[in-house]
Amino acid sequence: MVKIDLLVNGKKHSLEVEEDMRLIDLLREKLGLTGVKEGCSEGECGACTVIMDGEVVNSCLVMAFQAHESNIITIEGLDGEGSLHPLQQAFIDAGAVQCGYCTPGMILSAKALLDKNPNPTEEEIREGISGNLCRCTGYNKIVEAINRAKGV
Amino acid sequence: MKKRGRGIGLAFYGTGYGNGFPDVSRARIRLLDDGKVGIYVGSTEVGQGAKTVLMQIGAEALKLDVEEIVFITEDTSLTPDAGTAAASRQTYNTGNAVKIACENFIERLKEIAKEELNLNSSYGLKVEAGNIFLDFFPQKKISFKELSKSYGSGNIEADGEFVAQTIMMDPETGQGAPYWPYTFNACGIELVVDTLTGLVEIERAVFAQDVGRAVNPHLVEGQMDGGFAMALGYILFEDLNLKDGKIYNNKFSKYLIPTAMDTIKVENIIVEDPESTAPYGAKGIGEPVMIPVGPAILNAIYDAIGVRITELPVTPERLIKAIQEDNERKEEI
Repeated sequence: MVKIDLLVNGKKHSLEVEEDMRLIDLLREKLGLTGVKEGCSEGECGACTVIMDGEVVNSCLVMAFQAHESNIITIEGLDGEGSLHPLQQAFIDAGAVQCGYCTPGMILSAKALLDKNPNPTEEEIREGISGNLCRCTGYNKIVEAINRAKGV
Repeated sequence: MKKRGRGIGLAFYGTGYGNGFPDVSRARIRLLDDGKVGIYVGSTEVGQGAKTVLMQIGAEALKLDVEEIVFITEDTSLTPDAGTAAASRQTYNTGNAVKIACENFIERLKEIAKEELNLNSSYGLKVEAGNIFLDFFPQKKISFKELSKSYGSGNIEADGEFVAQTIMMDPETGQGAPYWPYTFNACGIELVVDTLTGLVEIERAVFAQDVGRAVNPHLVEGQMDGGFAMALGYILFEDLNLKDGKIYNNKFSKYLIPTAMDTIKVENIIVEDPESTAPYGAKGIGEPVMIPVGPAILNAIYDAIGVRITELPVTPERLIKAIQEDNERKEEI
C-alpha cells in the first residue's frame, strides 16, 4: 500500500492505495466519481480522460500513486453552484450528446484545450479532441459545441 | 500524383422488421398528479433520440406543452412492450403507437368530461393545453388538474397499439413488398487520391436524407453525421482482420475508427416528404444514413483514378495494389 495526497475537483484527499491500482479505479471505486468512463483500457478511446495538473491524461494509463500531489479534475468538478459549465451547456444546446459515453472525456479534452487556447480554429478543435473516440455523432456537433463555448 | 474525383451513391431502405414478421409497438397514457400526463413506452433510448421524438409526438397529439409530459421508458415493470430499438423502427412504429394511445386517451377524457360537465354528449368537446372544453361554449370546461384531483394519479388511462403492415416475400421468386415504409437518400463526395501514398482525403460531402417529416431536425442531422462517419470508417479504415473465425483486430489500437480529424463537416439536406401512414409523416433513418456513403466514396475513387475497388476497407496498401494491378493489365493489352 502507498499513501498518497491529491486534490480532486478542489477537494483534498489522503488515501492508502494498492501499488498496482490505476487512477481510473481510484476515482471510480474509492471516490465514487463514475463520470470517469472506462472504454478500451489501453489509452485509445479517451472515455476515461481526466485533467491532471492542466494536462489531459487517460486515467486508465496512469497509476494511482503517480497522482500523488497532483490536481485532478473530472467531469463532476465542472459544474459549480448548481449551474452547468459553459461547455456542458453548449454540448446540450448543440445536440453534441447521443449515447453520452464519450461525453465526459470529450468535455474535459475541450476544457483543457480552451484553458490553453481560448480561441481555437476548427482544425485546432478537431486536433484537441482527436484522442477521444465517438461512434454516434460523427463529431460535427461536438466541434460546433466547443466553437459555441469558446469565449463564454 | 494527386487525383481528384467525384462520386454519388443512392439508396432506399425499408424500415421495421419487415417480411411478414410481427412488428408491434404499444404505449400507455395516464393522467398523473397535478394534471401532468405520463407516456409509458418500452422503447429504449440509446442516444438516437427516441425519448425526445416520442415525447414530441405525444405532445403534438395531446396538444400539450412538452413540459407537462412525464416520459417513462425502458422500465419493463412499468411500460408496455414497444419492440426493439432496432430496424430504424421507433419513430415510425412506436411513434404511431404513442399517437394512437394519445387519441384513445383523448376519447377517454371526453367521456369523463361529458359526465363531469353534465353534458348530453361528448360531441363538440375539444382537448387542448390541458383543458377539456366545449368548442362552441368554452365556459363549459374542466382541466387536467381538476381531473387528477378528483380521480387521483394514474386512474385515467388509455392504451395504444400499432401493428405494422409487413408482407412476406414469395419464397420462390423473392418478389413482393416486404417492407413499409421505405426511406430514400443520396450522398455526393469530392475527394483526392494520392496515387503515391494510397491515401484518400475527403474534401466535400453532401448528404440528402428523406425523413418523411423531421420531428426534430437537430436529431436528424446528428443521425446523418453519425451514419456518415461510421460509413467513412467502414470504407477507409475499419478491418476486423477475420481469419478462421477469429477477429485479430480486436482492440482500438488495431481496429481504427474515425477520429474528429478524419471526419469533415457534412452538408446535410433534410428532405421532408410526409409518409401518409406515419405519425405526422415521420419515418426512421437510424440505419439508412450509413448506406449511400460507401458507394459514393468508391465511385469518387473510380472517377479519380479509373480503378474499381472491390475489397474493403480501401487501405492505402490495397489502393496502391489495385493501381499497380490495373497498370499491369493495361500493359498486357
